[in-house]
Amino acid sequence: MLDFMDYIQQAFYHSSRWNIDNSYSGLNATAQSILEFPIPKGLRLNVSSLGTPHFSSSYTISLAGTSAGPVTGQLSYLYSSLPLTVPSRSSTIPLSAIVRGYRHLRPLRAPDNPRDWEVWHRGRRVDERDTLLYGRIFLPTSRLEALWLRRTTPTQMLQVRGVSDASLPNGGSLLGVVHNDHGKYSTEYLFSSDSALLGARTLYNVGHDPRQKQDDSSEELMPTRAGTTAASTAPPSLFSMGVEVYYGLLNKSGGMSTGLRFTTLPAYLAFPYTMTLTLNPLMGNLSSTYAVKAGKYLALSSRFDFNFYSYESGVLVGCELWRLRKRAPLERINDAVKTSETPPSATMEDFVNPAMDKAAEEEQAGGGLLRSLGHGFPSQAPADEDVVGVLKARVDQDWKIGLLWEGRFKELLCSVGASLDLKRREKIFAGVGLEVQYSN
Amino acid sequence: MAFNFNWSPLIADTVRAREMLTTALNKSPKPPIIVDDIIVTELNLGKQPPDLEILEIGDLAEDRFRGIFKMSYGGDAFLTLKTRVQANPLNTYLSTRPDFASPQPLAAASGLTIPLQITLSEFRLSGFVILVFSKQKGLTLVFRNDPLESLKVSSTFDSIPFVRDYLQRVIEEQLRVLFMEDLPAILHRLSLRLWSPDYCDPSDPIIPRKEDETIPIDPLASPLQEPVDWLETVFGDDSIPSTSMDNRSEPHATFSQKSLQHLSTLNDSQRTLALATPSIREVVFRAWAVVSDRSSGIQTPHAPILSRASSAYGSGSSTYSMVSGAGSEASRPTLSTASSYTYSRSGGRQRKPKRRVIDLRKKKDEAVKEDDAITNSSTPEPTIAPSSAPSVMLESISEEGPKSPRSLNFELSPTAPVTVHASGSKARVPKVETEETAQPPPAYTPPDTDVHDFTKPTFTEKPRRPLHLKTTSTGSIPLLRSLSADRLTFSPEGPGSSGGILEQAWLRKMAREIKRRVDEERLRA
Repeated sequence: MLDFMDYIQQAFYHSSRWNIDNSYSGLNATAQSILEFPIPKGLRLNVSSLGTPHFSSSYTISLAGTSAGPVTGQLSYLYSSLPLTVPSRSSTIPLSAIVRGYRHLRPLRAPDNPRDWEVWHRGRRVDERDTLLYGRIFLPTSRLEALWLRRTTPTQMLQVRGVSDASLPNGGSLLGVVHNDHGKYSTEYLFSSDSALLGARTLYNVGHDPRQKQDDSSEELMPTRAGTTAASTAPPSLFSMGVEVYYGLLNKSGGMSTGLRFTTLPAYLAFPYTMTLTLNPLMGNLSSTYAVKAGKYLALSSRFDFNFYSYESGVLVGCELWRLRKRAPLERINDAVKTSETPPSATMEDFVNPAMDKAAEEEQAGGGLLRSLGHGFPSQAPADEDVVGVLKARVDQDWKIGLLWEGRFKELLCSVGASLDLKRREKIFAGVGLEVQYSN
Repeated sequence: MAFNFNWSPLIADTVRAREMLTTALNKSPKPPIIVDDIIVTELNLGKQPPDLEILEIGDLAEDRFRGIFKMSYGGDAFLTLKTRVQANPLNTYLSTRPDFASPQPLAAASGLTIPLQITLSEFRLSGFVILVFSKQKGLTLVFRNDPLESLKVSSTFDSIPFVRDYLQRVIEEQLRVLFMEDLPAILHRLSLRLWSPDYCDPSDPIIPRKEDETIPIDPLASPLQEPVDWLETVFGDDSIPSTSMDNRSEPHATFSQKSLQHLSTLNDSQRTLALATPSIREVVFRAWAVVSDRSSGIQTPHAPILSRASSAYGSGSSTYSMVSGAGSEASRPTLSTASSYTYSRSGGRQRKPKRRVIDLRKKKDEAVKEDDAITNSSTPEPTIAPSSAPSVMLESISEEGPKSPRSLNFELSPTAPVTVHASGSKARVPKVETEETAQPPPAYTPPDTDVHDFTKPTFTEKPRRPLHLKTTSTGSIPLLRSLSADRLTFSPEGPGSSGGILEQAWLRKMAREIKRRVDEERLRA
């Protein structure tokens, strides 16, 4: 489950029209969310609020969760210059937005024209770029984390992250990242003050360049109505390849990796699936994943690792199951009628999911956030109000099992997880945790 | 005196040692570059024992030992370790950094573990070792200089010269640090565990943490090369100190935790303003044994004298105690004992005064003990002298020892009313040996038999000197604990004044001399 602050940050990305999927670091996002979900440790209680569309705060207390002590806490604050109007009450946050599952990628979208971002008033530019400021402090270790984010141009985002802690060498570090996203390809350049690490990442999408024929292609890709998408022109799949390189100037350490991804887009008519292949040539690591959305409520994924220098290998299999509450037949019919009649609102050119639309309109106006974060096919997504919880499970070749249930329970968002190790008879339960989130 | 090493059993069976080493190596947190446990696969102590040559012996007793040795080792012992290391430097680097500000690479930080085997051989050690052993405080072994001359490191990366040289350099450096700094601490702890079964420190890690990023070196390799204690008993592998808590029973007397608790409480009460002095019952003191040699009729000997600090000085100041041969024992109390007086004087409040008796005079009639009061009264001035005075006094007095042994009765009485009445109120005087000790001191804790001091300091402070430790009222020079003049209100009442004219005169003479020496000292300082 996403932290409330991460959820708000996603909302910022979305509101400022930044595509977080189009980055090399998100190559394995789907498989990671199904296979490498974090299991909470100990007891964690989080209270957050989005006080105004610009400001959000969050307080967390953990018991027996970390190695820093029996009771630890976090305080975090977030400021956004862009008003974020997303459902923030824990009773109304759509689970599909806060629980990471199978990620449906959207087709490539051309970036906005920079001139569209200019705002003129009385002959002068008065536009300001969207900025996000975020800070978090951990107690009692007194570690401070800070983030500054700025959407400088439609294709660029600057990010500076800092950590300050007495236990770190040099007291902490700063990381500066420049993201460029041009639709067809994206690049990132980063520099970390800790050991002067330089890094560069790039992702290239093979296929049609959305920047060509910009005036009419975007309208063609946008489906006007549920089920009547211009499927003939929308690409059914997307093939991407990327590479990343790092080099540490001070400690002379470096690394690189390359990756490929093939994913189906919503225009694909059969089960959506995603395949990735990642290779680290220096270390000889090869990792391949496969994730498929096998139904409306089920997603499966598997990962196979192999090292051709040391012949170490591993297999990880996971699944994700969306649980719905049982609804009366009458309700279903009503819903079906409603969804067919509601015209989809088109605040953004994303494809529209009418079921999600309904949920969105009921809570707050605006924000295609739900639509873009939700599930793919209009006909396949469960209405969010029906979702009771999500069950995730994973098993690896050493019989280490991880279980997680995330859901809403009486206006609270909870996640309960356990990790088991079947090979160790004396200590099968390696860890159990509960996380409760309340937001306002 | 020669050392006879029975080296062969050490070669024969090293399984126990290897297991112990493996456990010890893996106890402390390892640097992130080491992925797996460190396992000692082979430990061979070679055929040749180290050469030990005695340079000095400073202190030798049944349960104490202090000496300087010259140690050299040129044998063919070797040690092999096996572990797995992480080959991706980005992985080790990022694993120690927080996620928030790390670049979070997708796959560039994936790990590759490589098995590694390191063999340390051809140790060449040569250096001066200071070995201090005491039953109560364990073994302390310190190198005066860096003993490691050379060492050969061979590993699975020998074919890569860069890595081989790097490993050689780093391991040599670490071993030097180990010998000089870590080894004494480890040996001390181990010895305490072996010889003091009540010493419990389960949280004490055997190996101190290391900050380096390379393979940590086992700190316990070298001590096994000379597992011979001062009694020339050879350590078989079974008797090498184990880290477990179930120490075997020792034939010698050991201190129970309770006793140590008593002693520490006593010491605390001496060093604070506690009014009550805890009493320890049923304790025999070494000084009693010495005293009983010469003076008969001792009924309830009291414990002397030395505070715990003196023992600390005594054992720590190895240089002092190793001044010279046997002669020093007779003639000079060491500076450590002197400093102990300093220390104990600084406490200065109510407690039983300590008495150190060095017989520098021919035996006098022991019945004339009632002159304590007088003797106390006769020497007020020197005791107000600065804290160096007692040391000077002791030295000066002791210097006269061989010439004219006199028995001096140093009495450390803390409080003013050194109403050490003639009735022999060793009021707060825990006399070493006194004939009139029949009466219990009035002011303090009732039982005279109670020990105020530790046997420990007694042991270290008073080596077997051929001194006449005898309390006689004549010739006793009290050493007042406090420097305030208030304390000098002696009550010279008592019947003992009649017989003490001579003593008084002598004492005055001594006092003058002491004062003179104190002034000299002050000028010198």
